[in-house]
Amino acid sequence: MNCQKFESVVSELARGQMMAAELRGEALAHVDACEDCAMRLRDEAMLTRGLHSLAAEMESLEAPPNIEGNLLTAFRARQAVSAVPAARRSHVAYWVAAVAAMLLIAISVFVFRWTNRPVDDPRQANRQEEPQGTPQVVESPAPQFANNSPVPDDDVLPAYPKPRRNRPFNPRRIPNTQVANHVSNEIATDFIPLSYMSTAGLQDGGQIVRVQLPRSALANFGFPVNMDRYNEKVKADVLFGVDGTARAIRFVQ
Amino acid sequence: MNLKNDLSDTELLRSMLAGDDEALTLLYRRRQAGVYRFALQMSGSKSIAEDVTQEVFLFLMREGNVFDPARGSVSAFLFGVARNYVLRRLRVEQLLAPLNDESDDDTPLLQTGTDLCPLEDLTRAETIESVRKAVLSLPAKYREVVVLCELQDVSYGETAEILGCAIGTVRSRLHRARALLLNKLRPVGEFEEASSATVKSARCFA
Repeated sequence: MNCQKFESVVSELARGQMMAAELRGEALAHVDACEDCAMRLRDEAMLTRGLHSLAAEMESLEAPPNIEGNLLTAFRARQAVSAVPAARRSHVAYWVAAVAAMLLIAISVFVFRWTNRPVDDPRQANRQEEPQGTPQVVESPAPQFANNSPVPDDDVLPAYPKPRRNRPFNPRRIPNTQVANHVSNEIATDFIPLSYMSTAGLQDGGQIVRVQLPRSALANFGFPVNMDRYNEKVKADVLFGVDGTARAIRFVQ
Repeated sequence: MNLKNDLSDTELLRSMLAGDDEALTLLYRRRQAGVYRFALQMSGSKSIAEDVTQEVFLFLMREGNVFDPARGSVSAFLFGVARNYVLRRLRVEQLLAPLNDESDDDTPLLQTGTDLCPLEDLTRAETIESVRKAVLSLPAKYREVVVLCELQDVSYGETAEILGCAIGTVRSRLHRARALLLNKLRPVGEFEEASSATVKSARCFA
């Protein structure tokens, strides 16, 4: 061991700290050989003794007894302060829960009475009393009508594989194609206004009556007529207004 | 009370935080002396030591739940809190009234004989007083390791926890602090001689 290495362990050696036995032996052997390091170790040992003496001298020192009393007083005061809000909190929680329960009960009663209240509105009562399957006179909606463009003979009318969805009536948009009736097996033309009616009158609705007409009547509306089936009849729906006047007609196959 | 004497510091702290004043009393009686002495050795003032001791345990009442047993012992926690209070207090004291006995730091505190180590020439009381003054004159970062490791007999590991540094730092600071103490305890005449001796010894590779 040299002096430099001894310097690094001299404090530990003087303080009696645990160290490797071999290192300790080397350090002590160096002290025997080096006068300066021996003095250094003596100084360190004296310092250690001085520090131990100081520690021993102060070993009996304690905080004054009044501090304990002060702390206990502060602790109890703190507990008392913190205990009061805790109790208040528990009471508040109790009342909040009670009010919430009462509100819940009141709302439940109100909802129950509302759903079982007597019906004041007679129309609503009638609606409720009406059975779902009761037949009604169909107030037909505003019928769709076709323009006067000639439509091919009913025999050559194309059969629509799928019924088209009825769109809302738009008088500016007059379809020139036939639309399927709501009856799944029938195909009908659009309503053709009768010559003495304006198209505006068709918007009022009315009643539809199914009639049969001679096939020659098709010619009156500009449709071509198959002369081979001249004597047969064709079905038609006549739209009557509320005043009993025939307003439009459509041909049905 | 007797049953609670067997409880660990951590258990006492838990009981205290739950409102048990008996636990506070036990914990205080168990740890107050160490905290008080630490504060006294760090500050050299009884009034500061008393204030710090009280503040430390008041802090424990208020913020005791921040103690984490996984990070160290209650004792180390208390020393750490005490250290913060002492350093804060010393900063305030330093701002308000600078120390008058600064010049005393340079005066020799130990008288050495011709052949013997200087500490042997002093009476025990003088020695203790000299050492106490030398410790107080150390910079705070060296003073605290001396107080903890030498005077409070706290291990290196626990000191590192208290100071929030590595064990190696504690070792090196302690080594440096002891060198400073030795220099302070030597007479001026011998100080330079000792310094040169240190240099000589450093160059001695025997």
